[in-house]
Amino acid sequence: MPTNKFLVDTSRCIRCTGCEAACKQFNEVPQGIRRLRVVTINEGKPGETNVPMPCMHCTKPPCLSACPVTAIYKRDDGVVLVNKDKCIGCGYCLYACPFGAPQFPDTGLFGSKGKMDKCTFCIEPFNQKDEDGNLIQREAKPRCSVFCGTKALLAGDIGAITEEYKKRIAGKLPSGAVPDVA
Amino acid sequence: MNRVKNSLKTTRRSFLKGAVTLGAAAALGGYAGLTRNSPLNLFEAASAAPAGEEKLIKTICPHCSVGCGTLGRVVDGVFVGQEAWADNPLNLGGMCSKGASIRDIVVSEKRLKYPMEKSGGVWKRITWDEAINKIAGKMNEIREKYGPDSVMLLGSAKTTLHESYLQRKFAAFWGSNNVDHQARICHSTTVGGLIPTWGHGAQTDNYNDLRHSKCLFFIGSNAAEAHPVAMQHALIAKERGAKIVVADPRFTRTASKADLHLRLRPGTDIPLILAICNVIVNNKWHDTAFIEARTHGFDEFWDVCKDYTPELAEDITGVPADKIKEVARIFKENGPMAIIWSMGGTQHSVGSQNIRSYAILQLLLGYVGKSGGGCAALRGHDNVQGTTDMGCLSHYLPGYQSVSSEPAWKMWCNIWGIGYDDMVKRFASKDLMLRNGMTDSRWYEGAIRDDINQPNRIKMVIVWGHSLNSITQMKKEKKALEEVEMIVNIDPRATMTSSLPERNDGIIILPAATVMEKEGMVVTSGRSAQWRYKVIDPLFESKSDLEILKLLADKLGFGQYFTYSSVDDIYTKEICKGVRSIGMMGRTPDRIRKHMENSSTFDPENIMARGGPCDGEYYGLPWPCWDEKHPGTPLLWDDSKPVSKGGHDFRALWGDKVADNKYKLHVGESMLKAEGGKKMYSNAAGVNYALDTTGEAVQLALAAGDPPTGRGRARFWAWDLTDPVPIHREPIESPRPDLIAKYPTYADKDKTYYRVPCEFKTAQNPELVKKFPIILTTGRQVEHMGGGAQTRGSKILAEIQPDMYVEINPTLAGNIGVKEGEMVWVESNQGKVLVKAKITERVNEKTVFMPYHWAGVFEGASYEDRYPEGTGEYVYGDSCNIVTAPGYDEITAMQETKVGLCNVYKAQGG
Repeated sequence: MPTNKFLVDTSRCIRCTGCEAACKQFNEVPQGIRRLRVVTINEGKPGETNVPMPCMHCTKPPCLSACPVTAIYKRDDGVVLVNKDKCIGCGYCLYACPFGAPQFPDTGLFGSKGKMDKCTFCIEPFNQKDEDGNLIQREAKPRCSVFCGTKALLAGDIGAITEEYKKRIAGKLPSGAVPDVA
Repeated sequence: MNRVKNSLKTTRRSFLKGAVTLGAAAALGGYAGLTRNSPLNLFEAASAAPAGEEKLIKTICPHCSVGCGTLGRVVDGVFVGQEAWADNPLNLGGMCSKGASIRDIVVSEKRLKYPMEKSGGVWKRITWDEAINKIAGKMNEIREKYGPDSVMLLGSAKTTLHESYLQRKFAAFWGSNNVDHQARICHSTTVGGLIPTWGHGAQTDNYNDLRHSKCLFFIGSNAAEAHPVAMQHALIAKERGAKIVVADPRFTRTASKADLHLRLRPGTDIPLILAICNVIVNNKWHDTAFIEARTHGFDEFWDVCKDYTPELAEDITGVPADKIKEVARIFKENGPMAIIWSMGGTQHSVGSQNIRSYAILQLLLGYVGKSGGGCAALRGHDNVQGTTDMGCLSHYLPGYQSVSSEPAWKMWCNIWGIGYDDMVKRFASKDLMLRNGMTDSRWYEGAIRDDINQPNRIKMVIVWGHSLNSITQMKKEKKALEEVEMIVNIDPRATMTSSLPERNDGIIILPAATVMEKEGMVVTSGRSAQWRYKVIDPLFESKSDLEILKLLADKLGFGQYFTYSSVDDIYTKEICKGVRSIGMMGRTPDRIRKHMENSSTFDPENIMARGGPCDGEYYGLPWPCWDEKHPGTPLLWDDSKPVSKGGHDFRALWGDKVADNKYKLHVGESMLKAEGGKKMYSNAAGVNYALDTTGEAVQLALAAGDPPTGRGRARFWAWDLTDPVPIHREPIESPRPDLIAKYPTYADKDKTYYRVPCEFKTAQNPELVKKFPIILTTGRQVEHMGGGAQTRGSKILAEIQPDMYVEINPTLAGNIGVKEGEMVWVESNQGKVLVKAKITERVNEKTVFMPYHWAGVFEGASYEDRYPEGTGEYVYGDSCNIVTAPGYDEITAMQETKVGLCNVYKAQGG
């Protein structure tokens, strides 16, 4: 069983926001909900760095510990999901999450925030269930990563993406040496 | 003022409110019924687990020129989503936000759904028959009253290759050269600078080849925002050790990836490049063997260049002399280096000469025609290279044949099956047929002034796939749209064409299909063609441009010349036959589709297929592709390979000797390569390969192992240009009166300049800086494209980038008392715009920046209610081209958007 993670190669991210759009179109995420957002630090200055921020699918998710109704669960492949039937919209997961991953469709101080939504590694769209009420469970293949314009956002088994990243920082491409073009 | 502010707030609020309601399927109930017999709601379709099988259709992104492939997911004829086309060798599945949300544009409920007419101040739905009858009727009326030249046709770089070709052909059969498109304001100066240097005007390499560069020099290109997926290849090069140098007035996102950023003053590329050349030659770092064997005119060049010392350049450009010296060393020590530019280089009154200076730097270093080197002119639109090749321009016929060339007209008449004399009769006169038409950048002048080089003013304008807010001088444009008798807007969306003018009658809009709803070839900036398969049938009543062309041609009485048994016929029987100058002969639809189907066999390292049915061919058969066996030419001017394997050489465009010239210099010197030089090939009857439809000349050349273009020399010194060697000339709106005196712009042009006089010297006012002390430059946001008509109508993109803004340096903001997010006026000699302040160090305290994708607000007034009901955009903003400068390139009439003068001040109550 793989252990799924995201890994951001910040040297490659150019904030083209392809990941944000790919996520929105594939998971039919409504406006106002951002399962992933590119964060930029030092904008416009030397040291400008972009970091796509989806749910990090933590090894020990603090959101899971904070959830009072055990709506949040972690699958064997490392993906953290939320059962929207159980979620009461209290927002404690948002307080617990260091990355701001949990999203809520509604705002307001005393009203409900609505059911929590977040990155599902593309396993579940925003509406978790199909027309017949069955839970949709797709393959764990984040479209933010496969659509990433510069291949900055790596996703998948922790071993494989670490290997890919190591090759990059060693100054080599996965395909090996540069072939002779002539 | 308050009214303005309130209307802006309302715009934003209604957008956000729209966000809530749009999420609910109920709001879209009426929409589903309009899809082709499908019960599925388009917005819900992907998760609705449809009964039908899902098909994946290979298609090409409709935005920039990288040519990213993507897969359309289609169920029962409904476009339900997108998947990554992971083995497309150009993008490996990668897309920016625009590309990853194509479906959102296609299924946007803000699209035009049926033909409409504005009459009596009201938008009314009309039928296609009515619309075509009215348009053709008015065209014929104008022909009778004013002549065919009083109709202006603005074509589109968003069309497929064959549609663009037919737009040009349509203008010819209509009888006017008043046809142009976005290439004029995109990279016309790249063509204007590169052809006089080495014979062809396109990017010499391709995006993938950037991987092999040892240094990438971005000058006037913010690829990270304008061509994001190109950065995939650039950053791979960086991982392999390449240096990245970015010359840009802004610290762009591209600059954030660079080893060195040169913050030059806008409009000073030439002194910067000449100073780099100066350092190179003084250190003897130039490639003398290459210069000796393959170029001409080095001495004349050095005669100019020797005066441009780094110290002089520091004064003009603002880049420290030490940095200029450092850059020259980086270029020498990290070869081959590739120069990459975009509209930061082209959109200047010295645009063509900017580009020439870039090419000259590459000639000097011998970095041309080599993998990793060359000139990467990153073009703007998905098919703008193709539409330029098809000559949808007022001075060209397809294949870069001048409209002044009778032999070229004769060849095309022959292909079109019409006698030359009959064609002449379609024009007002032979003289007008052989005369450059009006340009995309200045067509409006033809509608509002009388001192023009044609019998009557423009009386009707057909805007066919073009957002007019990407053209400068919008106030004049608005006036022109109010003066003409009829406006026709053919587009998937209602654009500013129909909402800019204050008029109650005489506007017809036709719903064109989006690019996903039709098929055809599109050409990347790297000259590779791809076949864009049709994802779904046109929605609503929209029709493809091909259908619309046919309807209009039929009604105007020349439909028999627009009758084809299939789309392929247009290519095999006409385009491949006639567009010979750049070698379209071997690029048949069948071969290109074979490449699409076997995309996985192409190596992203060099876009060559290994094994499989396309073995040895280059992806998309980059032109020149001389015959049906030729593999395409991935790198122009690369003489290290045989021509049959994609080799090439400098085009012998100037014959074998230097012609007589006004300087009486170097006359009779050889213009052929030192060893193995060859003239351009002709057939036995003496017809040049470009016009020889028998193909004999091409076969003669290939048999001899030569490109049909010969083996000539590139020119440092172009004796037929106003400036044979690039020299500095201050922009039309310059903040340096002292430098205007020393480096003035060109003399004014009379009405032979694309039919409309143009002020250069007269427009360059040294006093202007007193009133408008801040430099204004413009550019792109990654989420939007061109005039933004499509992307601002995408819910996804509107959410990610909802704002028009002006970038202001914190120091300048402090001086003028403006805080982040406040509304400010940006005012110039041309007009003013009301936009939000974005405080950032991207720009320095002398410069402000605005993106150019915005419309729907005009000088602070909302035009939202002028869009026909049910159309429009999700986000609106004021248009920066209201305030950009009135400068134009001397050779091509490219507009000068990248440097102007303005003032910025806080809006009352802002």
